[in-house]
Amino acid sequence: MFKSIMEWVDARLPVSDLIKSQATEYPTPKNLNYWWNFGSLALFVLIVMLATGLFLAMHYKPDANLAFDSVEHIMRDVNFGWLLRYLHANGATFFFVCVYIHILRGMYYGSHRSPREILWWFGVIIFFALMGTAFMGYVLPWGQMSYWGAAVITNLVSAIPVVGEELVVWILGGFSVGDPTLNRFFVLHFLFPFVVFGLVILHMWALHAVHSNNPDGIDVHEGKDTLPFHPYYTIKDLYGVGVFLMVYLAFVFFAPNFFLEPDNYIPADPMKTPAHIVPEWYFLPFYAILRSIDFLGSFSKLAGVVAMGGAIAILFILPWLDRSPVRSFRYRPLSRQLFWVFVLDCFVLGWVGYNPADATLFDGALPLIVIGRTATAVYFSYFVGLWLVTVLKIEKPKPLPKSI
Amino acid sequence: MDLMKGTIKVAALLVLLLPQWGQASGGAALPVQEWGFKGIFGKFDEAALKRGAKVAVGVCMNCHSLKYIKFDQMRAFGLPEAEIEAMAKDSGRSRKDRMLSVMDAVSAKETYGIEPPDLSLMTKARKGYEDYAYGILTGYLTDQESADIKKAMEDGKLSETERMEVAHVLHMDPRHEDKLKEAITKLEGGGNFNKYFPGHFLAMPQPMQDGAVEYGDGTKASLEQLSRDVVTFLAWAAEPTAEQRKGMGIGVMIYLLVFTAMLYAVKRRIWAKVH
Repeated sequence: MFKSIMEWVDARLPVSDLIKSQATEYPTPKNLNYWWNFGSLALFVLIVMLATGLFLAMHYKPDANLAFDSVEHIMRDVNFGWLLRYLHANGATFFFVCVYIHILRGMYYGSHRSPREILWWFGVIIFFALMGTAFMGYVLPWGQMSYWGAAVITNLVSAIPVVGEELVVWILGGFSVGDPTLNRFFVLHFLFPFVVFGLVILHMWALHAVHSNNPDGIDVHEGKDTLPFHPYYTIKDLYGVGVFLMVYLAFVFFAPNFFLEPDNYIPADPMKTPAHIVPEWYFLPFYAILRSIDFLGSFSKLAGVVAMGGAIAILFILPWLDRSPVRSFRYRPLSRQLFWVFVLDCFVLGWVGYNPADATLFDGALPLIVIGRTATAVYFSYFVGLWLVTVLKIEKPKPLPKSI
Repeated sequence: MDLMKGTIKVAALLVLLLPQWGQASGGAALPVQEWGFKGIFGKFDEAALKRGAKVAVGVCMNCHSLKYIKFDQMRAFGLPEAEIEAMAKDSGRSRKDRMLSVMDAVSAKETYGIEPPDLSLMTKARKGYEDYAYGILTGYLTDQESADIKKAMEDGKLSETERMEVAHVLHMDPRHEDKLKEAITKLEGGGNFNKYFPGHFLAMPQPMQDGAVEYGDGTKASLEQLSRDVVTFLAWAAEPTAEQRKGMGIGVMIYLLVFTAMLYAVKRRIWAKVH
């Protein structure tokens, strides 16, 4: 019965062929390690976010006078509304956990290198879109951090020469963050995930055109070195989902406010600025880069914004900065060390971003801004350094295996 | 597993490098309390909730509201309907009403200069959470402490020992003499000093003292007891679904543990042919 239906469909649209070639029998390198799980995990979180977000939107009210109350209505009166909201709020955190690991994995094993540049580009575009989506989503509960975070970030647009000031008014729908801002952010926050979903399809199309990289970073021979995606990677990904859920849901059920600022449980008050405005943790390194450029007088703001955007945009040209004949850092000791300095530096930047701009260490002897500037320099030095050690052939790669 | 080794090293380094992840709040370190309702297996003590509700209605609600809670919801922790009806009546409302303050916002603002914040989310909306609320309630100066400060300032100046003493009483930094003096001047001017409020001076005068509420269950109504009970009640009010959440979480985690173990076994079995 099922077989004959599928034959009828396949004669008109080759669904079975697509499933076979792109999913079940899709050839996948046999040596992928668990770091390769985070792509499918990110997709899993995206689906969770779409599902929970859809139901939250049915109860949420994008109105400056009603938004905060409607979130509490979801928490208290909607059946399992608290579960929906905590899944969604913590989902944002774990989305970025997955995406950051996914990006760093790509950087380490050279997954951005030829011929995977377009695949990598779609990834960077997705990352940008996610940051925009997360930012607008954080505004929706209309708490103090929502409001003032939105005020600080939208104000950055005013740094753009000539049109900046007017552009901010156009974006906000007024002279300050207010009801029109909230309303449009809600609409865009609903729209963006579907754009992201479309980009993910392009990302996967690009992946399936060139196939997966692998920890050795060498080209694989189909058949000898590969396994059909199903059952090998379906089960490995599913197992990954199980482990991931245990961590994610532990926060949802037992510490749902761990990543949230307490201030966001205070309704937005345009007349009262919080003592310390702090963005969500996943923006902290970039926030630190923004604030570290404070020594250029009236150009500081613009330079800070450019540096912050550039910190991500530089990923677009990463495939050409790295000139080594070897992709994987497994065989590149020097690049590997640079990589770990870079990772550590991201944490330092995050820590600087978390603390107030005028904070100091050792009783005022060491202003945090100095650490912030240094860490910003180190961040960009990674990309320059990687280019230098490869273009000048300073690094001597270890011999590559013949096959995986 | 080269990437894994590096990850472990970096994680270890981070634990060493960034010990002070937290930040200063501007007030003194909060008195950290044991709260039985916190933690994965934590449950609310119904007797404490009942006592705390009495404090909230009898003391807090003279100025503050708990707008996300209706009187009737207190049946969830076993408060009898008749008692709820009586409590509501005392505030001039009925059992089905929201727990709104007796005082309206406008006259509260006239009296205190600010609109008293709604308390429904108080234990979630401040750094320190329950400990913060407890700290504020117990952080006003006792009569003895006020007298000590007055005595230290009798001659109009602070000697070295007096300065240490005053700083100790006020939970302030003894090195900043100007700040200490400023605080004392404000105190003498009738300011509401609190050891744990960031900036130390707040609009709220001390809301209650020993025996502010008469408990029906024989518990001694000391300031500490009253504060503990009302904070317990506020923690419940901040998220009445918290116990349901944690209970469900335990079931979900047990299920996931078994299910993931099974997935791992299947994974091993399937991959056995490759390895």
